[in-house]
Amino acid sequence: MIRSMKYEVKEIKKPFPYFLTKSPNMSKRRISRDDISAYIMITPFFIFFVLFVIVPIGYNFVNSFTNYNLGKTRDFIGLKNYINLFSDKNFLQSMYNTLIYAAFSVVPLMVLGLISAVALNGRSKILHVTRALFIFPYITSMVAVSMIWLYLYEPSTGVFNKILLGLGLKPQNWLFDEKLALSCLIVMNIWKNIGYVMIIYLAGLQSIPQELYEAGKVDGASDFKMFYKITIPMLSPISFFIFVTTMIEGFKTFEQVRIMTGGGPVNSTTTIVHQIYIRAFSEYKMGYASAMSIILLIIIFVITMINLKIGKGKE
Amino acid sequence: MKEEVLIRGKIRNRGKIQDRERILNQEKVRELKALEINFCSINGYKLLTGTIAVILVVLTAFPFLIMLSVSLQTMKEIYAPELVFIPEKAQFVNYVNAMKNGNWGRYMFNSIYITTIVVIISLFINSMTGYVFARINFKGKNLLFILLLVGMMIPPQVTMVPLFIMMRRFPLAGGNNIWGAGGTGLINTYTGLILPFIAGSFGVFLCRQFYMTFPKDLDNSALIDGCSRFKIFVRIYLPLSKPVLASLGILKFTGTWNEYTWPLIMTNSDSMKTVQIALTMFRDEAEVIWNQLMAATIISSAIIYILFLLLQKYFVAGILAGSLKE
Repeated sequence: MIRSMKYEVKEIKKPFPYFLTKSPNMSKRRISRDDISAYIMITPFFIFFVLFVIVPIGYNFVNSFTNYNLGKTRDFIGLKNYINLFSDKNFLQSMYNTLIYAAFSVVPLMVLGLISAVALNGRSKILHVTRALFIFPYITSMVAVSMIWLYLYEPSTGVFNKILLGLGLKPQNWLFDEKLALSCLIVMNIWKNIGYVMIIYLAGLQSIPQELYEAGKVDGASDFKMFYKITIPMLSPISFFIFVTTMIEGFKTFEQVRIMTGGGPVNSTTTIVHQIYIRAFSEYKMGYASAMSIILLIIIFVITMINLKIGKGKE
Repeated sequence: MKEEVLIRGKIRNRGKIQDRERILNQEKVRELKALEINFCSINGYKLLTGTIAVILVVLTAFPFLIMLSVSLQTMKEIYAPELVFIPEKAQFVNYVNAMKNGNWGRYMFNSIYITTIVVIISLFINSMTGYVFARINFKGKNLLFILLLVGMMIPPQVTMVPLFIMMRRFPLAGGNNIWGAGGTGLINTYTGLILPFIAGSFGVFLCRQFYMTFPKDLDNSALIDGCSRFKIFVRIYLPLSKPVLASLGILKFTGTWNEYTWPLIMTNSDSMKTVQIALTMFRDEAEVIWNQLMAATIISSAIIYILFLLLQKYFVAGILAGSLKE
């Protein structure tokens, strides 16, 4: 019993790629009865997984070298799709928009999420209720959120313009303004995801040992100083994680663009996934859209790999 | 004699109760003092974070309050030049009218049907696979596990184009021949809507992490008794996995219920629309009827909110577990 418990602990504390380290008796042995039951039990999952995750990726890759358009022709045209991509103004614009969208969502999200986590960290009932309030936007569907904000941004009857008029300021065109539209989407994104960032920061805050703060107090450090010297450094792995996940989420942006602006005005809000959607499902250029998907996959893959590399270095 | 014992017992109990009360009181006093300190020693730091938090709370709640308020207003109040926050008379009729605007009974049924099937199948399959990865050292385990982790990284947006083609050309479905040509395949079918949702590998990972914390002797003793692996999973592990299944189930439920992109691609007939797609129909009209749209928004999100209020603990656990996947 005790021995097995010890074994468990060891297993958990192995360095990161623990699943790569082979146990000595694993490499050369015959298939046992246990193996067979294992294979049978994982088969249902892997049928779905292979059919709907692995095969599509391979299919996507092959497709990206063809000019398939749901019709009869399907010729291999080599790298032509990829070459065309980099002279496609719409796609380059969408790359730029997506990058701006992701970058300008991430920083405010992290700052505001951390502040709300620090302010709402505690056990009283009020704090509990308030924390729950912050999660509501996060669990609301993007469609519902878009609908609410469409009304807020509406130029003629919307809330923001009524407030601006009430304050004697000039009303704006919000989503119909080429310069403002992307910022409008960013603000909405921040509103929706603060709760998520806050929850993760709260878990991080609760894992910081209290002794550090007590020691700080004894040394006469001010709260600002302790926040700066203890809280932020102790949370840095979590901050990095949030940075990566919100960045990746930003690169997947599609629903709000399709619902609220349709990529406009003048392509100022189109994103990579939105371009994929338009090429594939209104122009039926499946090969071209596949090439875009592969580019998106590569971007996300690179971000994840950087995450794993740096994450490993920190441990 | 007996009575004496009883009385003594009572006295002792009373003593205990008094002790407990005293301790409780002390704790309360301490808490109050802590609060007092919190309120009295208002320094710049607390003032700053507190103020920002209050502002954030107001800003977070504001759109929801607007949604609620607009859903109860008349169109006249919405078109008024100044902001109406509290409607003159709450128009609950908006909710009824919104549901009449389109076949909402059908949309609700579609969403509930798809979500329920996805949750049930994926919970069972994921937990079973998670159990195998946590407990059995089968050949090829490492390779399959790496495949699984890589699969977790692949966003559904990347596979939507090939998946659509695959669904359209699904052999022997929707008028297709065996080579997948001629018909519409699985487009506009429940199967086509459900299948890709079941494939995610995150649940397997979550269940595996959970089952790793179980003692191994649980399996060994059952194996010695001649129990099969499947039976061990169903009889011992499944009944013990309520927390992980609750968290995973909620994640799957909200994910599927809130999904917009896949139903958008896969359906074009009115009878197959899900709630989320139906919501966007209000927007397609020439003049948006805001009060009905907001009412429909509230109705479509209500099920998620109720679930959240009932199972908040598991919700948060699920979100956190999702964040610790590396």
